[in-house]
Amino acid sequence: MAIGVKVVARPSGIAQDMYVSAVVKGLGVTMRHFFENLFGKKHIVTVQYPEERAVYPKRYRGLHRLMTRDDGSVRCVACMCCPTACPAHCITIVAEETGNGAEKRPAIFEIDELRCVVCGLCVEACPCDAIRMDTGIHAPPVEHRGDAVLGKLDLLAHTGKSEAHQGGLGGEWRGAPPVRTG
Amino acid sequence: MTPPETQLPAAPATVTLTIDGRQVTVQKGTNVLEAARAQGTDISYFCYHPGLSSPAVCRQCLVEVAGQPKLVPSCYTPVADNMVVITASERVLTARRQMLEFTLVNHPVDCPICDKAGECTLQKLYMEWDGHPSRSDVNKVHKPKVVDLGPTIVLDAERCILCTRCIRVCDEVAHQHQLTMAFRGDHEILTTAPGQVLDNPYSLNTVDVCPVGALTSKDFRFKMRAWELYTVPSVCPGCATGCNVEIHHAQGQAWRLVPRPNPDINKFWMCDEGRLTYKELTRDRVVGARLGDDPAPLEKAINYAAERIEQVRQEGGTVAVVLGAQATNEDLYLAARVAIDVLSARVFIAGRPAVPDRVDEILRSADVNPNSAGAKIFGRAAAGGIPELERALQNGELSLVWAIGEDLPLSEEAFAALDDIEMIVQASHEDELTAGADVVLPAAMWAEVDGTFTNVQGLVQRIRRALDAPGGAKPHWELTAAIARRLGVSVDEPNVRALFNEMKSKVPEMAGAEWGRPQPLVQLRFANSRG
Amino acid sequence: MGALVIVIPLALFFVLGLVATLIFGWVIPALGGDPNAWYGALIKTAFILLGFVLPLASVLTWMERKQSALMQDRIGPNRASVGGVRAFGLMHFVADALKMLFKEDFVPAKANKFLFGLAPVLAIAPVLITFAIIPWGGGVCPGRLSETLTDETLATCLETGARFQVVHLEVGLLFYFAIASLAVYGTTLAGWASYNKFSLLGGLRASSQMMSYEVTMGMAILGAFLVYGSLEPATIVMAQGSNPLHWGIVTQPLGFILFFVAAIAETKRTPFDLPEGEPELIGYFVEYSGMRFGMFFLAEFMEVIFTAAVVATVFFGGWQLPGLHAGGFLGTAMPHWLVASLGFVVFAFKTFVLCWFQLMIRWTLPRFRPDQLMRLGWKQLLPLSIANILITAAVVLALMPTGGK
Repeated sequence: MAIGVKVVARPSGIAQDMYVSAVVKGLGVTMRHFFENLFGKKHIVTVQYPEERAVYPKRYRGLHRLMTRDDGSVRCVACMCCPTACPAHCITIVAEETGNGAEKRPAIFEIDELRCVVCGLCVEACPCDAIRMDTGIHAPPVEHRGDAVLGKLDLLAHTGKSEAHQGGLGGEWRGAPPVRTG
Repeated sequence: MTPPETQLPAAPATVTLTIDGRQVTVQKGTNVLEAARAQGTDISYFCYHPGLSSPAVCRQCLVEVAGQPKLVPSCYTPVADNMVVITASERVLTARRQMLEFTLVNHPVDCPICDKAGECTLQKLYMEWDGHPSRSDVNKVHKPKVVDLGPTIVLDAERCILCTRCIRVCDEVAHQHQLTMAFRGDHEILTTAPGQVLDNPYSLNTVDVCPVGALTSKDFRFKMRAWELYTVPSVCPGCATGCNVEIHHAQGQAWRLVPRPNPDINKFWMCDEGRLTYKELTRDRVVGARLGDDPAPLEKAINYAAERIEQVRQEGGTVAVVLGAQATNEDLYLAARVAIDVLSARVFIAGRPAVPDRVDEILRSADVNPNSAGAKIFGRAAAGGIPELERALQNGELSLVWAIGEDLPLSEEAFAALDDIEMIVQASHEDELTAGADVVLPAAMWAEVDGTFTNVQGLVQRIRRALDAPGGAKPHWELTAAIARRLGVSVDEPNVRALFNEMKSKVPEMAGAEWGRPQPLVQLRFANSRG
Repeated sequence: MGALVIVIPLALFFVLGLVATLIFGWVIPALGGDPNAWYGALIKTAFILLGFVLPLASVLTWMERKQSALMQDRIGPNRASVGGVRAFGLMHFVADALKMLFKEDFVPAKANKFLFGLAPVLAIAPVLITFAIIPWGGGVCPGRLSETLTDETLATCLETGARFQVVHLEVGLLFYFAIASLAVYGTTLAGWASYNKFSLLGGLRASSQMMSYEVTMGMAILGAFLVYGSLEPATIVMAQGSNPLHWGIVTQPLGFILFFVAAIAETKRTPFDLPEGEPELIGYFVEYSGMRFGMFFLAEFMEVIFTAAVVATVFFGGWQLPGLHAGGFLGTAMPHWLVASLGFVVFAFKTFVLCWFQLMIRWTLPRFRPDQLMRLGWKQLLPLSIANILITAAVVLALMPTGGK
């Protein structure tokens, strides 16, 4: 099927060519805003950031954080789903054995916040509710690029307990009765 | 009185049957599963393996055969003439789905932390056939986890679906009964046979055949996710057998070797030692050229080497070229061409010393060099071995030794003699030879080059480049060619492919060799499961 | 804030005007000097440039951002503070200047070092020179500051008195065109000497644009020349008188529009900022940093001020205000010093408002395409300016057969 093309008649004529009416109309708009903002009622929408904060929506994606179990150990099992899903390749995980029933945990968990495109796919990919982006804070500015690479401890600094199913059982989650989903 | 011999017509070697309404003709003795595959119909299975016997324990390959009241396991049913097989009727599919659900009842479904995830047959079949949450609301049966079965393998009995493939690998490939099943029903577990540990030299094949993540390799465990790996077909450099392998690499590093089926050489298997040869790629590599102990630009080192060779020749000394059996046919062909035809040098063949202990009737050979046969071909009749080299060194017959490869198992006396003469070595690893050499040139290893190896049977097999050589390392043939060009020898071949063609036309033993087609770089996540 | 933007400039301009009046009407004569001698011209130059143009150019950098913010419902710069006093962000221009002075002065490796350094000077020098012809007030009669003068006595006195104009050139506006056309060298050389394709393209665009619009600009002002019979700015101002009906905006409406458009094009600001064109070229000064860039930046704003000053002079009666005459305002008698100072206030405020209007245009209109720019310049503005000359000439001939004056 051919693409439908709608031909829009180009406005022409001397008035159009001289731009005068458009210029006058445009100046009318800008001057109205200028004078109203200067003398009359204010339309100003600026939020003065450090003093005033915009209210973020509930699902705002901020700095990443890693969640913990009841026993305080990191929930991440180093399954590598998040680096696999990450379109920016900003997550680096090196796994290690835990020696307990959970078997696997990240020895290294790094996120390069400068590379991160804040898409949230890592959160979607995580099968354990181990990574979240609900801190509500922005990635902090850094002096050196290396400082933007957050390690496991940095990410655990904003931690909270996860309230997801399977949560809080640590390596013993296998012993619990199965949870019906869906 | 003996009855008269009836003249029976010779039974035909092939059988024709109908699978899903299509006629297919296969060899007699084939099972229905293979016949269906030959015709292009995939039948799911767990316990069957083309290289092993069929116990028909998983019941995942059930098909309907006309005239049979019950569904039959296709892996266990030999084909017969005029057989009518239906592989995808509602009855068959329901049975298979139910079998899969049954298999999954006690499976922990811990795919995120399972090393098999991404190449798991159970995972693949679940995604294809089922895709529903579990209907079971009783606790799963708990079984031992992280069980140390032997020096190479860890077992997670919960993940095991009791297909017995691993037991059969030990029995039928390694011919050692080291694994067995214990208990019954849903408490049945895999375990080592009484008084045994899983320590046969083919134990890691159990990990390959395991359709789930029950058996994991201690070496590969938790290192890398399967779907991140890229696969490159190559040949194991561990011994003269030349088992076909896939190099699995990611992030510029090889993570494991797995066997690639080749009915003429290794079938579906390879030995544990061969699997670990990838570790050589990162051990003590020579990453830059050296003159004595001083690092030097490659160009300068090559110039110096050529100057030394030229000088020795002008002074009437004898040059010896050592063909290392770790190098490819192309490397050795060029080195021999330069050595014999141009330099009139004495040629010796060297390599890692043979290990008579490792030889068995299965795959392992005593010669731990991948290309000894090739070195013998290119060294021609005149080539000596290590004993001859040792004698020549001790008698002071040589003025300069130019070694392709650093493996020279010489005696103390011969090493001492080497100190007195010029030594040029194209080396991959640092060892006592490179420590004492006058010129060390960095050479790439097998996974970093394209080329061919000749195995003990005389088969010429292609190896492919999977990784970048570390530092400034170059393939042997490039180093040899660079030295030769400075000696005034014309080496026209622009690449290793041209060198191969030249070798093929000049060397009668290589006349049947094939370079093979270019292989696209495949990531394992887009390949099929390997279970 | 509202009323302050009018009151504060007016107050500042009055102080400035008073200073000028006192220097030339009292200090120099009291010291026995001649306001029209070479040092007088030097003091006038210093006064107009250091006292008026440079401060106003600096303030315009702040004003531009603040004004655009208000037009766009934003707040604009308000963070720079001195001792906690923010003053609506007015200190931002100081911060800007400090920043530019202390930034690395980078020269690209393959740039022509000499021309690269020369280009900003060539860009800023012509616009500084052209301020010489601007009359910023009627002038002052030395020694008679406290008297109330009449127009006649003032005119007689000014024959020898102190004009508020650096040079009184009969060819005034021609001098302006001659000097202003040199500015194209600055931009073109900057584009070429940077050894950068984008800056070169910017430089080429700048040269073609400036040459095209200079033609229209010259043609447009010829109408005013025909009406007022002089090219000398102060004479043109006097010829317009204090009655707005005789000002250039009324007698030459088309000429005003044409001149104003062409003059904006000469300043290379939106909608004529093709040489800069941030999204496509970044401009002829893309390789410049630090104060060298600052000089281009400053030159641009001084061109804005100069355009405003020339338009105020030729089309808006210069320092004259309806009702303001040498003897006072309407019926109120005023001493000479006050009238002379107010003249400067009137001129400066007209200039200020015209600068504001240019900023308004700059933040309202989108950029032209190069072909639109050329079409507008050559096929529309130029024919119109020629028509303007012909019509004006015909009218002038009909009304004043003996010529202007």
